[in-house]
Amino acid sequence: MIPASPPPARQNDVWQRWAGTPVTALISALSAAFAIWAAWAVLDWAVLSATLPHRPMQACAETDGACWRFYVEKSRFMLFGTYPYAEHWRPALVSLLLLALSGIVGLRITGRLRVIGPRVLVALWILVIPLAFALMGGGWAGLAPVDMSRWNGLPVLLILSVIAIALAFPLGVMLAVLRYQDRWPVLRRAATVYIEAVRGVPMVTVLFVGVFVLPLTLPPDTRISPVLATLIALVFFHASYFAEDVRGGLQSLPDTQAEAAHSLGLNWGQAMRLVLLPQALSRSLPALVNSVIGAYKDTSLVVVLGIHDLTSTARMAFSEPGWGQYALEAYAFVGIWFLLSCAFLSWVGRELHRGQSGRNH
Amino acid sequence: MTIFKTLISLSTSAIAIAVGIAPATAGPVMDDIKAKGSLVCLVSPTAPGFSVPDSKGVFQGFNADFCRMAAAAILGDASKADIRGVGFSDSMKTIVAGEAHMGSRSITRTGTRDADEGLAFVATTFFDGQGFMVPSALGVSHALELDGASVCAEDGSTTLLNIADWFGAKGMSYRVENIADKTARLEAFFSGKCDVYASDVTALSADRQLASAPGDYIILPEIISNEPLTLVARPDQAFEAALFWSFQVMLNADSHGVTSANIDAIVADLGQQSPTVQRMFGADAATTDMAAKLGLPNDWAYQVIKQVGSYGEVFDRHLGTDTPFGLDRAKTPNAHAADGGLMYPFPIR
Repeated sequence: MIPASPPPARQNDVWQRWAGTPVTALISALSAAFAIWAAWAVLDWAVLSATLPHRPMQACAETDGACWRFYVEKSRFMLFGTYPYAEHWRPALVSLLLLALSGIVGLRITGRLRVIGPRVLVALWILVIPLAFALMGGGWAGLAPVDMSRWNGLPVLLILSVIAIALAFPLGVMLAVLRYQDRWPVLRRAATVYIEAVRGVPMVTVLFVGVFVLPLTLPPDTRISPVLATLIALVFFHASYFAEDVRGGLQSLPDTQAEAAHSLGLNWGQAMRLVLLPQALSRSLPALVNSVIGAYKDTSLVVVLGIHDLTSTARMAFSEPGWGQYALEAYAFVGIWFLLSCAFLSWVGRELHRGQSGRNH
Repeated sequence: MTIFKTLISLSTSAIAIAVGIAPATAGPVMDDIKAKGSLVCLVSPTAPGFSVPDSKGVFQGFNADFCRMAAAAILGDASKADIRGVGFSDSMKTIVAGEAHMGSRSITRTGTRDADEGLAFVATTFFDGQGFMVPSALGVSHALELDGASVCAEDGSTTLLNIADWFGAKGMSYRVENIADKTARLEAFFSGKCDVYASDVTALSADRQLASAPGDYIILPEIISNEPLTLVARPDQAFEAALFWSFQVMLNADSHGVTSANIDAIVADLGQQSPTVQRMFGADAATTDMAAKLGLPNDWAYQVIKQVGSYGEVFDRHLGTDTPFGLDRAKTPNAHAADGGLMYPFPIR
């Protein structure tokens, strides 16, 4: 008699992992039930009980499901707010540029798109950031000027997250280097004081300083737009967190790296630029991505300053008389946006983690 | 840092508004509006019924319509009003800095604000008073029971000062939750972060509509202040007169039953109308004489009514009994003077 062959190990493994003991079996059953319930609730709300977009608004009042008509009517408003309707291609283009550029950076640091070198990336940023402001603001080449109070929704969210992060990064690297080096003790102390002071203050305080104190330091008859003041405050805020991430990378390098660089005849600047920083940056990438996710999500706090980012335009969309019952639709729109963009960021984080553990083993 | 400098210089040049130095014929602000062909008017970004953007991002509401009134009178086209939503304290600064022509955002006219030379209060479009909204679950029926309550109110507004006076006079204590953004403030109130939401009573009844269950909130009977909500202009005699008299045209139209719907019929049959109506809309009327002196188009009074409507029409369109706010104008201080209200039309002659 040939004994019955054992079941395939793989299946057994899955079964073992999900229901090997009574406790795991119970937890698996509960989470499966919850997942099915949640998926059903979403499906029911978004499709089964929903009022489809071709139905009139009146039909929406009669069901509990999603009112797709709301998205037909309000999507453009939620994305671009009070920006002049006929000029919506400008904020749309700015948003696309900033998203594409962030996407490229994300793919590049996970080891894809190797054809795009770091120099090209830096050049693209230097080009796109002023272009974003010029396109949004207008007033040249026949583009109608648009006041910053009309910069709402997605482009303002991206300007205050993507551009703030892009500008904070070089500043953060500079601060990290200053705090790491010991050639200029005064600068080292200054960088330490700056980083610790900013990190010791909540972001909302920094934002209020940007909007209410920064204008006081300017000549009395100049006014700085809240968007610009917030951008500046965010750059200085994020820079201190990036600085600590990069300093972590620098300190993890063995001393022998610096010694080897010096013995090759490199001076301090060359050693930093060619030997230490490249290694430190690649070591600190996972920490940096972590900070970027935090910084990106915190951007929604700017609403307390009266800046209308995506969350705020979504709320304005259901503030219009007659639209008050569609708050869930509006928040779902914002939620899906943040889910998708944060999913990309954490995918980048996971890829980096995998690459790093692969390298170390 | 060079990226930074280019960024700042680029964006500031993008937002910079060149102030015209054309020879003053009417007044500097009036000339600026005509030279640009648009009138920059500031409103509150989210005040349902008063100013809130529609699906195309265009502000609609009671306050927004007074921006349109000014553009219709001065530029002959209500759509040339560049209506921008700006927070309260920032809007005052923007007008004083000369980056906006006027504000129509429920600003209370007070003595010290009027004494500021950068601001001119023109015409009171809405008489209001400050009150308190509480969740009915709090079990409070009078404001005197609010000792020790936490209050959500707007930073920098007269609301906080009135609360300080009133609670102080009654010897009651309170705590303020200061949140600049209105939607965030309301959310804090609806989620129970503060016990009381303080604002003008009309605003309270509008804001209550934003709750998921408006019936769960009550507005207490006490009214603790007088709030004459007034149009603000950058000082310029001709511009202020144009705003003031455009508003008077809307009040006079209200007393004679002239609306945007029937004005064409009335003008076509002007000989049969009352002398007041003839003086407003006639070809050689008092308003024509004013137009020449103030630098307005000859048919400015007609355009205001045709494109915006009479005062009663604007009130009912945005706040009246057919809207979610359901305000019965006759029961507010904004009723016509003949009905015992405070809206008293000045003679146009």
